[in-house]
Amino acid sequence: MPTEILDIAVFTTLAALVATIVMLPPGIGLAWVLARHQFRGKAIVETLASLPLVMPPVATGLMLLWLVGRRGPVGRALAPFGIEIVFTPAAVVLAMAIMGLPLLVRTARAGFEQVTKRYEQMAETLGARPWRVFTTVTLPLASRNILAGALLGFTRALGEFGATIVVAGSIPGRTRTLAVGIYTYTETGQDARAASLLAVSVTLAFGAALIANRLARVD
Amino acid sequence: MADAATRMPPQFELRFLMTQGAFTVAADLEIAARAIALFGPSGSGKTTILEVIAGLRSPKQGRITVCGRILCDTDTHTNVPVRDRHVGYVPQDVLLFPHLDVRRNVTYAQPRRRHIDMPDLDQLLGLTTLMDRKVSGLSGGERQRVALARALYSGPDVLLLDEPLAAVDLARRRLILDTLVAIRDELRVPLVYVTHSPEEARAIADYAIVLDEGNVIAAGVPDDVLP
Amino acid sequence: MLRWWATFALVIATVVPLPAQRPEVLVSAAASLADVMGTIARIYEMRTGTRVVVNTGASNTLARQIAAGAAVDLFISADEAQMGTVRDEVVANTTVDLLSNQLAVVVPADRPRTLRSARELTDAAFRRVAIGDPAAVPAGVYAKAYLQQLGIWPAVSGKIVPTASVRLALAAVENGAADAAIVYRTDLDAAHRTSLALAIPLAEGPRIIYPAAVIRSGRNREGATRLLAWLRGTEAAGIFKGAGFIPLGQ
Repeated sequence: MPTEILDIAVFTTLAALVATIVMLPPGIGLAWVLARHQFRGKAIVETLASLPLVMPPVATGLMLLWLVGRRGPVGRALAPFGIEIVFTPAAVVLAMAIMGLPLLVRTARAGFEQVTKRYEQMAETLGARPWRVFTTVTLPLASRNILAGALLGFTRALGEFGATIVVAGSIPGRTRTLAVGIYTYTETGQDARAASLLAVSVTLAFGAALIANRLARVD
Repeated sequence: MADAATRMPPQFELRFLMTQGAFTVAADLEIAARAIALFGPSGSGKTTILEVIAGLRSPKQGRITVCGRILCDTDTHTNVPVRDRHVGYVPQDVLLFPHLDVRRNVTYAQPRRRHIDMPDLDQLLGLTTLMDRKVSGLSGGERQRVALARALYSGPDVLLLDEPLAAVDLARRRLILDTLVAIRDELRVPLVYVTHSPEEARAIADYAIVLDEGNVIAAGVPDDVLP
Repeated sequence: MLRWWATFALVIATVVPLPAQRPEVLVSAAASLADVMGTIARIYEMRTGTRVVVNTGASNTLARQIAAGAAVDLFISADEAQMGTVRDEVVANTTVDLLSNQLAVVVPADRPRTLRSARELTDAAFRRVAIGDPAAVPAGVYAKAYLQQLGIWPAVSGKIVPTASVRLALAAVENGAADAAIVYRTDLDAAHRTSLALAIPLAEGPRIIYPAAVIRSGRNREGATRLLAWLRGTEAAGIFKGAGFIPLGQ
């Protein structure tokens, strides 16, 4: 069924886009703090930020499940408002964002570290308050790295599987992403469908990589 | 702030002790002048003093007053943050924002008051042709003028200049020097001017501080203290 | 800047969950049931107008989701062990044995043979036999239980290759990495380059049970109960049989 394949492809791309947008504010903020500040417990924060990168994705998925499931701290807080995350597209976005975040933080942090503090100091002498310095000097000068990091996060989100299948499940039309779909179809012997999804995945990944290269070359 | 109603020259108080590793810079001066020259060989601490006035470095101990306003006083734990010091800083490497064009660089500051309007600033520094250009294509002299304009646009109480003529070719130096004199006299913005050239110091300053390895070895009227 | 936020909010709204409008029943079903549950869902919706949403996966993953409080209405597990792990989440007296399945030994299609008994797996010709991991995969649990029942487990355990799922056991035979695999009879329809060597007779084989139960934290208990009753009825039995499963309902 071509429409089903298209639906899955569109859903996955949209979810990955939203996940990228969602991971940008915390990712940029964290990257900036790690690049510019020293504080007690910094090593712990750095490790936490890298965890999704080094843990098996399924383990991350289990942690998320515990966190946002109706028994967990976040899930319990949201339940009175009728908001449920597990088994919904929001869970897909959540899993994608968590898995992509470490990549964004790393790349953005390198970008901030490259921006010499002296430009920020110059802006200060011209009377700019911290937020203005950040938005008019630091951020623009680190923008190429941040963009690269966002792209990295996006591609990671596109391919995300292990955490997604645990916290979002595999519900056709609702939480079945390309990766989860390939797995489910393969598991149930629907090889033709799996192959179609695989082809779409490869094409998307190819496209994303192409854009990433273009961006890197415009240097 | 230089009060237009009075003819008294601006007041400066530079009493401080600053250490960085093995290097110490010490000063203990009370000055009334329209332009102060910081003179000495490289590494003598001239740039450090500028940075202390700008607030980019904090002295271990001391008190800095510019135009009657206390910027820093370790005894009372006063330390005005950089953004509130109203200094116009032009470092040796100028530091024009590379991602902004000339116009956006010059108009970056959002000052409370301005000494000079854009058209006059244009005329004083000859910026009209430069306004829409990218920073990367500018010559040394052009960068210096843009940096001066940017600093002036912020309406500073004092201009801090670190070797402003170093990157400018000989032919244009006179021009920039004259512009600085105009800023000092017509706009009445006091200058603190770092240089290793006695001629420049004599041309611009009515007070000179001679430094050597962090210490003030002489201070006073330029003709008296300069070689 | 404002336009950015508006777009962002709009996109978020499309993925943020809103309470369901139509009545629906959320079923978590073992992976081997994915295909047949798709058919079941379609037909049930035609008959009753109630939408059946099916979440499939490995039974242990499904069980974990339920244990974390996921709002599943009905759980169909591939074995009683996994259903046991969510005992506390099950509504009392709703657990039923829904389906059974048959084990089968498969071999590569280019080297077909028939076995009269699984004991022949001890033969030296079978160097590697793939089964689902007996530690986690229900099909593997059943396979091991059967081999133990036959008394040949010590003899073959050295050549057993545990795989992460039944599908991978099949794949091992398809690409020649294993000489045989023990899978569900129902998996054969999906397999392309394998051939059936032996279907383990039901009387001999392990008692394969797919239990189904209504889950406490579900949103539509009534819907789940009605669906479960229908699943045990004649029409559903026909659909399950057509897919190769063995319905156990009244």
